[in-house]
Amino acid sequence: MRNRSKRGISLKGYMAVLKGSIMQGLSFRASTYLRIAGNLVYLVIIYFLWKAIFASSPTDTVNGMTFYDTMIYLVLAAAMFNFMDTFVVWWIGDDYQTGEIVLYLTKPIDYQPYLFCARFGNCVISFFVTFMPTFIIVYFVTRGSILLGINMLFFVVSILLATAVNFCVDFFVGTICFYTQSVWGVNIMKEVVVSLLSGATIPLAFFPAGLRRVVDVLPFQAIYHIPLHVLTDKTMNIVDYMSSIGIQLLWIAVMLGISRLFWKVSVKGLTVNGG
Amino acid sequence: MEQIIKMENVSKEFKILKRREGIKGSIRDLFSRDYQILKAVNDVTVDIMPGEMVGYLGPNGAGKSTTIKMMTGVLEPTKGQIFVNGRVPYENRTRNAQDIGVVFGQRSQLWWALPVIESFRILKEIYQISDREFNDNLEYYDALVGASELYHKPVRQMSLGQRTLCDILAAFLHNPGIVFMDEPTIGLDVSMKSKIRELVGALNKEKGTTIILTTHDMGDVDALCRRIIIIDKGRMIYDNDIEHLRGFFGAYRTIRIQFDRHAQKLDDEVLKHQADEVEEWLRIKFPHAQSIAVSTEEQWIQILINEDEIHMMEAVNCIQEHRQIADMNLQEISTESVIRKIYEGGIV
Repeated sequence: MRNRSKRGISLKGYMAVLKGSIMQGLSFRASTYLRIAGNLVYLVIIYFLWKAIFASSPTDTVNGMTFYDTMIYLVLAAAMFNFMDTFVVWWIGDDYQTGEIVLYLTKPIDYQPYLFCARFGNCVISFFVTFMPTFIIVYFVTRGSILLGINMLFFVVSILLATAVNFCVDFFVGTICFYTQSVWGVNIMKEVVVSLLSGATIPLAFFPAGLRRVVDVLPFQAIYHIPLHVLTDKTMNIVDYMSSIGIQLLWIAVMLGISRLFWKVSVKGLTVNGG
Repeated sequence: MEQIIKMENVSKEFKILKRREGIKGSIRDLFSRDYQILKAVNDVTVDIMPGEMVGYLGPNGAGKSTTIKMMTGVLEPTKGQIFVNGRVPYENRTRNAQDIGVVFGQRSQLWWALPVIESFRILKEIYQISDREFNDNLEYYDALVGASELYHKPVRQMSLGQRTLCDILAAFLHNPGIVFMDEPTIGLDVSMKSKIRELVGALNKEKGTTIILTTHDMGDVDALCRRIIIIDKGRMIYDNDIEHLRGFFGAYRTIRIQFDRHAQKLDDEVLKHQADEVEEWLRIKFPHAQSIAVSTEEQWIQILINEDEIHMMEAVNCIQEHRQIADMNLQEISTESVIRKIYEGGIV
């Protein structure tokens, strides 16, 4: 036998998969354009919705946020959603239902990092195609309300960590499809829960105190709230930035552990009881 | 020589929820704990030597895929022991995966939107194939089937046959000791089938790869395998040389014809009469042929011939001389009919 690593593929292998996923993503130009168009429609809706909310308020700020703050937050949340949503739940559900999972189980790979690399290419493309342009437009439309300083550096780090938390949550939810035999319902439920509790549709500052306490001990706020907070909150100092990143790292560790354990148990069930 | 695959009294059981009928039944199913045990594989013992090409046959649901999944480590046997390359596959799935290749006729491991060469490059990194090994294989594939024409074509633009071809090449890329093929020729036309058979035969012979071939098509095994294992309802009912079986399906072909476009309206008597006529024509033309048997089935006239005695086209031409054939098809000898013969006795 040839002398090869016993523990499955190397980092180089995963990099090759990532490269492949970027190339694959680039070949679907039409879908990228459609996502940009869909995003624009959504932005128009939230613009008028929140304009009405602020118009009905006697003061310029609601819950400590101005209209511009809110717009920046929500517009960027929508743009983040666009590049972070890589349909991981669908992929796992589909691989399970079609039996294609067998192709991965008969390869010397670890499915979780493999899937991350195979989907992360889309994040990279969407980051440049939808997030960056949106960010630049928002910056000029709000006449430079976004602070450009050290927060940008932490924002980039934070957004990468957010992608990892999001992936682990998706991976966990995707594994649930092993038991429900249905992907659609599971995915809808996840999207509703995540987009609400992460602060993607309504900034967490608007949440009542009781709900806020619940949200603070859930992983979802690490996906949208923390990176957007890091970007837009002008009162944060270096210690606040570091602790925000720390919270995200903690959630990655927790969610990675839980999702891997759940996956391991589920695959074990698969090998005993078939698919 | 050591066996490359060793299965000892292997059984696999699945727990399946008993489903009831109707809406009421479906609602009750939600709370049901009423399981039944399905024995997918029942006490199978097989030894396979390195370099063998084994045809693994059986009707749908016989337990073929379950066996393959156990050999690849995806399923854990309920009873018995399996060793592949001396390892227990489900306990060392990742390690085992390094030394096996898998082809599923209805699934593709290739990246859909990318030129196939990119899928090969990704596999190169996943299996840690050396540059030399990789390039040697690409050149070898080109010499074998002219694969270089396909290397830069996106997989989604390929025909099913081209894609299957590439999937097979992909499975051999890391020079695995064993390749499992699950119905690789499913849905392909005759010329592509024979191209795939040639390719698989050459890979087995020249690389010495052990191949386990699952199929419904007796043509595949006839062209490729010396040894055949047949499984039915989870039990192994045949494990021997193909020569033993050949007498039963070897050169026999069934031609099915209709004389009238609107054959549904024919009553049995007329059809029977037509069949008798056909038999008479053939008997006069080929007096020495022993094997001719004409029967009717639904609205078809079925003619069984032995190609060692009469060529198929001769028989068709002979019938055409007397009467215009409106519709015709050729039936492969199915695994099911071979199994029926085995049960009827005489082969094992």
